[in-house]
Amino acid sequence: MEKEIRKVARALLRDGKVDLVIGYGRGTLPLRSTPCFITDEDGVDELIWDPSCGVNLARYLPDIKGRVGIVAKGCDARSIVVLINEGQVERENVQVIGVPCRGVIDRRKVEREFGSLDNLEITYAEDAIKIKGKDPERKLPLKGYLSEACVSCRSQNPPIHDVLVGERITEDSGVDEYSRVREIESMPAEERWRFFEEELGSCIRCYACREACPLCYCKECFVDETMPQWFGKTTDLSDTIIFHLVRALHLTGRCVDCGACTRACPMEIDLRSLTKKTEKIVKERFGQEYGLSLGEPPVMGVFKQDDPQEFVVKGGKEGSQ
Amino acid sequence: MDENWEPRVIAFLCNWCSYAGADLAGISRISYPPNIRVVRVPCSARVSPYFIIKSLQAGWDGVLVSGCHPGDCHYISGNLVARRRFGVLKDLLGYIGCDEGRVNFSWVSAAEGERFSQVVSEVVERVRALGPSKRLVKEA
Amino acid sequence: MMKVIEKERLASLIDGWIEERKVYAPAERRDLIVFEEIESGGEAHLEFNNTRVPPKSVYYPQREVLFTTTGKEGDVELKTPASLEETVILGVRPCDAHAVTLLDAFFGSGEHKDTSYLSRREKITLVGLACNDPAGTCFCTSVGGDPHERQGLDAIFVDLGDRYLIEAMTERGQRLLDGSDLMRDAVERDLREAKELRKRAEAQIDKLELDGLDERLDGLFEDPLWEEMQRKCMGCGVCTFTCPTCWCFDMADEEVPEGTERIRFWDTCQAALFTKQGSGFNPRPSGKERMRQRVMHKFNYYHKDFGRPACVGCGRCVTSCPVNQDIREVLVKLMGLERGEADE
Repeated sequence: MEKEIRKVARALLRDGKVDLVIGYGRGTLPLRSTPCFITDEDGVDELIWDPSCGVNLARYLPDIKGRVGIVAKGCDARSIVVLINEGQVERENVQVIGVPCRGVIDRRKVEREFGSLDNLEITYAEDAIKIKGKDPERKLPLKGYLSEACVSCRSQNPPIHDVLVGERITEDSGVDEYSRVREIESMPAEERWRFFEEELGSCIRCYACREACPLCYCKECFVDETMPQWFGKTTDLSDTIIFHLVRALHLTGRCVDCGACTRACPMEIDLRSLTKKTEKIVKERFGQEYGLSLGEPPVMGVFKQDDPQEFVVKGGKEGSQ
Repeated sequence: MDENWEPRVIAFLCNWCSYAGADLAGISRISYPPNIRVVRVPCSARVSPYFIIKSLQAGWDGVLVSGCHPGDCHYISGNLVARRRFGVLKDLLGYIGCDEGRVNFSWVSAAEGERFSQVVSEVVERVRALGPSKRLVKEA
Repeated sequence: MMKVIEKERLASLIDGWIEERKVYAPAERRDLIVFEEIESGGEAHLEFNNTRVPPKSVYYPQREVLFTTTGKEGDVELKTPASLEETVILGVRPCDAHAVTLLDAFFGSGEHKDTSYLSRREKITLVGLACNDPAGTCFCTSVGGDPHERQGLDAIFVDLGDRYLIEAMTERGQRLLDGSDLMRDAVERDLREAKELRKRAEAQIDKLELDGLDERLDGLFEDPLWEEMQRKCMGCGVCTFTCPTCWCFDMADEEVPEGTERIRFWDTCQAALFTKQGSGFNPRPSGKERMRQRVMHKFNYYHKDFGRPACVGCGRCVTSCPVNQDIREVLVKLMGLERGEADE
């Protein structure tokens, strides 16, 4: 698929369809890739494709003027759909090089099991990673070390593409995507609060999650508003929890669960435990899916006459709507 | 907990319906708990989740947002937009372990003075049972 | 006099410190090793490469209250926070200790010293842990450091397998060892092993050729390489907040139940709003200017003021950057450029 991606990129640039191609290049560390910006045909050989290609490249789109080609996995392409629907990207300015994806690797899972990956020779094989070092070569099945978002992915095939590189994936992951959310929901409230305090307490307010997210594109983030200032900018626990709560709120009906936020977090906070819940709320309350087709109505920008309102306070015997 | 503690509830009332309903309750001398402080807004849709969260952080024990009945919004559909927003906010607050009973939403029309007092009573009692707000409150 | 302590006795030594001081050490929290205040010596976790974030927040808190005003108008009471107690930070890697000296130089320089930082700093004893197995992201030797260096430390531990070699370099460090019978004097064999480990550790680190980088950068301000290099940078703050030498801050007044707190808190020059002025003008409007700022500050401006780069090669920015922006790669590229290629 790597060769195919390079071929497509070369053609797009040569034929003048785009001025820039954004893809993945080789990283400087084991199991890492890095975003790659190619402006001429000769540069396309830098492009790679392997299970380390995790970054959601769509985060670069809103700020780019001109025509762009972009390598997009299923989840990335879904976020491009939302970006187009929200008017942040012009459809005719983007050439989506869609790549059906079986999942990207969570390098931290590998590191947790193997310790340091320094001085190891790591290669990718069909659905596996081969690790060679001082000990005999190990072959790890990719499935055991996938990014959590990928374990239960339902968006393996890009819902939007100008070119599709590789075969469409037909099998379902077969995993309940809300299992972690359900686990948390089943905890008593006190325990849930302690879980989030503990998890979010490590936050250093670096905003890697926000910057990695393609849908956090506001020029002035609510964090930076000073007139009025809604909450504090420091690592005070109350302020930190509010940051994550409101970010999740802002992503309701927009977050496509690409996992970029969680992957970017230097403190390894499981941000998806919060963002995935918003997706479940939208499905259960409003029965809406999103990030699948152009022209979809924005979930929080529309309403139905019969939207659920079980939470409305009735007020005594006269309780009628 | 201080035995003299009284719940403090901030109430965002839409100008055209709920605020007028509250006013009617006053004029009709209908008694209701004095624990609320009213903020008049043009429409329930004006109430951003920021207001609610900031209120909780500032130590308010409870929040009430009240608007026109669906179909009667002075701005046609503001309350319907607000309804979606509030459902999500309550679900999310509850999910992280915040007492979601602190954040309340109601429909009260301009003619419903009695109803307003009942809503307030119900909300104040609900918040009283939850005790002083601790989650999200900003310490020094 | 160098001492040696058997590993199983270390916890008791630390317990002795805890009786009279606050002790911070690397500890396990949620799958990560971070510096935390420990209540007993057994909590210290000294088998680690380096922590995800440095112990910087102990002497330079991420959120610091400068003063609190309480009371109503006309009756304002100003409260300044209590100063730090005697504190020990154990398990500080030589790179992080080297970083403290960079902060000391900065906060202690000039006519207006940062009394807030300095008053905390003077209460802190830094106990280091020499690196025997540097990580693949370490590059201390390229920026004037060393995996066993003593700079900035009051005492240092060297892991010799079943025991630690301990050296106290300052009075503060010595005070931690005085009066304890848990140690024996070091012998020739201990010193020899430590030396071997040091040599091996140094050899393990790839050394970059960065001599003369500060001067080279003088001619590279307008180079088009900055534009190219910063394209993938997302402008978050991971590099800044995991860096042991970064110190930029912002100030704010925050409402609290008692009144108002004036605080200072970490900020990052990588944020778009960092230099945005009240007028709306921003002298660093894009990622290009901001990335250039970061590199120039650490490897040129600071070097001009203090004679050495403001980078200790800890490699945390390399490990944690979400897009794998590798400062080593950047520096090597800068070294390879012709001077003044794009001079005015």
